[in-house]
Amino acid sequence: MGRYVIRRLLQALLTLGIVLFILHYLMALSVQIRGNPAILFFGGERTPDPAMLAQVERLYGLDNGCYDRPGDPCLVPFVERLQNYAAGDFGTTLNGNRDVAALLGIYIPNTLRLFLFSTVTLVVLAMVLGTWAARHRGRLVDHSVRGTTILIDSVPVFLILLAYVYMMAVPLTRWARGIWGTESFMGQVFRPSYNPDYPWTTIVIPGIILGTVGLATLTRLVRASQLENIGADFVRTAKAKGLGQMRITVVHVVRNSMIPIVTGIGYLFAFMLSGAVLTEGVMGIPGMGYMIFNAVQRQEINLVIVGLTISAIVVVVVSLVVDLLYAALDPRIRYE
Amino acid sequence: MVSTPQVVGDTLPGADLNAPLLEVEDLKVEFRVRGKRVPAVRSASFTLERGRTLAVVGESGSGKSVTSQAVMGILDSPPAYITGGEVRLQGVDLLKQNEETRRTVRGNHIAIVFQDALSALNPLWSVGFQIGELFRVHRGTGRAEAKKRAIELLDLVGIPDAKNRVGHYPHQFSGGMRQRVMIAMALALDPEVLIADEPTTALDVTVQAQIMRLLKSIQEERHMGLILITHDLGVVADVADDVAVMYAGEVVERAGIRDAFKRPAHPYSKALLRAIPRVDTLGQELEVIAGLPPNPASLPTGCPFHPRCKAAEDRCAEEAPPLAAVAEGHTSRCHFAMEVYRDER
Amino acid sequence: MSELTVPTGQAEAAQTSLWKDAFRTMRRRPDVILATLILLFVFAMAAFPTLFTDKDPTRCIGREARQRPDTWFTGEHPLGTDAFGCDFAATIVHGTRPTIVLALTVIVATVVAGLLLGVLAGYFGGWLDALISRVLDVFIVIPMLLGAILLLSLFRGRGSSGNLIETIGPAALALMIFSWMEFCRYARAATIEAKNLDYVQAARCLGAKDSRIMFRHILPSAIIPVTAVVPTTIGAIIVTESALAVLGLGVQAPATSWGVLLSKGTEWAGGGYVYLFGIPLSLLILTVFAFAAFGDALRDALDPKLR
Repeated sequence: MGRYVIRRLLQALLTLGIVLFILHYLMALSVQIRGNPAILFFGGERTPDPAMLAQVERLYGLDNGCYDRPGDPCLVPFVERLQNYAAGDFGTTLNGNRDVAALLGIYIPNTLRLFLFSTVTLVVLAMVLGTWAARHRGRLVDHSVRGTTILIDSVPVFLILLAYVYMMAVPLTRWARGIWGTESFMGQVFRPSYNPDYPWTTIVIPGIILGTVGLATLTRLVRASQLENIGADFVRTAKAKGLGQMRITVVHVVRNSMIPIVTGIGYLFAFMLSGAVLTEGVMGIPGMGYMIFNAVQRQEINLVIVGLTISAIVVVVVSLVVDLLYAALDPRIRYE
Repeated sequence: MVSTPQVVGDTLPGADLNAPLLEVEDLKVEFRVRGKRVPAVRSASFTLERGRTLAVVGESGSGKSVTSQAVMGILDSPPAYITGGEVRLQGVDLLKQNEETRRTVRGNHIAIVFQDALSALNPLWSVGFQIGELFRVHRGTGRAEAKKRAIELLDLVGIPDAKNRVGHYPHQFSGGMRQRVMIAMALALDPEVLIADEPTTALDVTVQAQIMRLLKSIQEERHMGLILITHDLGVVADVADDVAVMYAGEVVERAGIRDAFKRPAHPYSKALLRAIPRVDTLGQELEVIAGLPPNPASLPTGCPFHPRCKAAEDRCAEEAPPLAAVAEGHTSRCHFAMEVYRDER
Repeated sequence: MSELTVPTGQAEAAQTSLWKDAFRTMRRRPDVILATLILLFVFAMAAFPTLFTDKDPTRCIGREARQRPDTWFTGEHPLGTDAFGCDFAATIVHGTRPTIVLALTVIVATVVAGLLLGVLAGYFGGWLDALISRVLDVFIVIPMLLGAILLLSLFRGRGSSGNLIETIGPAALALMIFSWMEFCRYARAATIEAKNLDYVQAARCLGAKDSRIMFRHILPSAIIPVTAVVPTTIGAIIVTESALAVLGLGVQAPATSWGVLLSKGTEWAGGGYVYLFGIPLSLLILTVFAFAAFGDALRDALDPKLR
């Protein structure tokens, strides 16, 4: 087991290293082909004073000669970038010249809170619906669960959000405030945008909506694994041993069903990250997705790269955790 | 989480120690699929005494396994439903008991060994856990004590180095060893009846013999009743005391082992015996039973065996034969049972 | 000799009957029939837009702007006009082609690439497998939407001359680069499984060439799991394009896609012009749902175990 963990860890580091390099190389290529983003600092069109431009280039680490040679991988700035990242220095924003590391300190917790609600929503809904559908396999319940989850899943999250924000949020808020008052939980929960005064309440609805990403996939997984285990030979053995229904379910069915579900959640996590970009952008939640959303619109390449780097780290770590959990849950996995 | 152990004790309430150990009478099971009713077991009857081995023989699909699962009470409903008959354990009709009593009977009084131990054991728990689970649920034993018992049982069924193997997982055992684990599990609570459902089909020939010898010796030692479900007549000849032959969901012949092999009273049993390769018929072509086993959803009229029967007459297609005695302890479901018995047909 | 060729025939027959069975099962399901009708309608709009509208979406009259579709499906403007006075029905119908062409281009390219890489990796194993698997790992780390956002914002162009390739090209390319992995994974797994099957071993013993074994024996079985996820992925591509459009990174002007219409429509939805948002939204949801339902049924039909 120990060796397996170490090997898997090294593999994850290697993947991460390659991803970071690709991100860096793409950025370098973009600078080499499209010209210097530092010009943006001066507002775009106007040609700035060369001395000032050089100063700004130095400020953003673009003063290396390799950025003028298309195709150059720019290894020296890459190493510098890694060193800076390791030291906790993620640069500054072009707009407003703010420290990115400090911004991350604000953004990451917000995104984590959003994900908390989403993950709970997703897992609970998928478990309940999947189990329900498996129990009524082939009957109306099964088909309706399947149709509904596919329908929910085919509506892109950001569209649900947009529809919510533009069509439902205002009347719902007015209605709720009329009954419970402005300051109550209900008075705040339906707001069309995030409010930092109510950091938990106003994140509930976007969290739940984001939680529908991959609902059909996970429900399907839960249903399939339940069906497989309910009809499994070892469940028949457990029955023949005179175990009660409760014990059979808890000891012999649930644990076996957990394996594909854990994998499924790990797999869906990456999709939730993409969903977060638009969710946070639309709802104005100051999180990682909001940062990427705005960085794209303002052409702040460094911020996009930082955002993607962090998302890549998260995905690698999550898949590592999933693999280790998988190994812990299933003794048949061999660790060599 | 675990329900409080309800120990029935060594005897079932209301049990009559003078009654036969296990009597199955006219058991009927049907499957209900999409509104259709398919009879899987139409009439199974047999008796098992203490210390004896009853072999239930038949082709696949003849209802042997469904019968054994109905006796255990582990059929999945839906789709399977018991529609008639009695299963009496020491005189107590199990089919009339509530689910809680039936649950305590399983493992305590009747245990079963399945064919494919690899899929019959839960891959995610150690064999020690799965054996110990019986003591913990039925006897309320603690974790450490359950493990100790599991080791003793693994030792008993001949697994070397049981102390270390107890924590291993099913996939770490060979096929024969896994089947021994299954047997250890079945023996855990010292049941009076052990059902072995084709226990050796999935194994190598040499291992088959070892497993059969193990089952037989434990059965004799503990004076258990053993129901051996198989289609291997060689094994039957070795270990069985009584034989019940099943065809199309019915027991068509019941006899002691000698009579069953020497003087079969049903054309189907006779044909089965002729299909075994033997040293004295070496070089001759083996006889095969023409045709295929009938589809339970559309059985032939009259005697279900008549389309394949060499001795059949017009009557066989119209009238289903009753189970009739040809000799003491020997019954057959054939219109011409007596003639077949005397080898006149 | 004859014994060795028999299993091949059986396996092929099994595969043919698998497809046939799948088709037969699918044909009987009402949801599949509904999905097929929706998809036919959408494809017809993409192929023959003039059948559905006689207006030119680029001919806009400012004083007719924002007419609500009070007449519904009839009259001068069946679905009203948009913010610039263009006929909205024409805009939507003509926006279908870029959407569908983009989705189909991406899916064809990624299926071919994924199958090829997957079969190669699975069949030859060794360093080739190690290399492809590592590339796979790296790409899987970057979700499709984020990767496309990155590429498109890094290499954002200045606008284009208006032919289909230039308007959908960048978005299509960006989506392709980040959506081939699933197909590759499925194809690789299926290849490894098929490689050890008796009939493939038999073909090898008979001295068949690698290429023949791959195309004749392995590809047919590797295609099955890949096919099952194709419709769902087409839906995902359409959705991702619309998300890119909201960010201004999707199909480029002057072409419009449903995503572009949606992102424009959001500005007006709050102000009482719900139809500008609602109509493209319904069309997109309907299409994606049709693809997803079709894909779900197909997956079931091709994997009888889960039925």
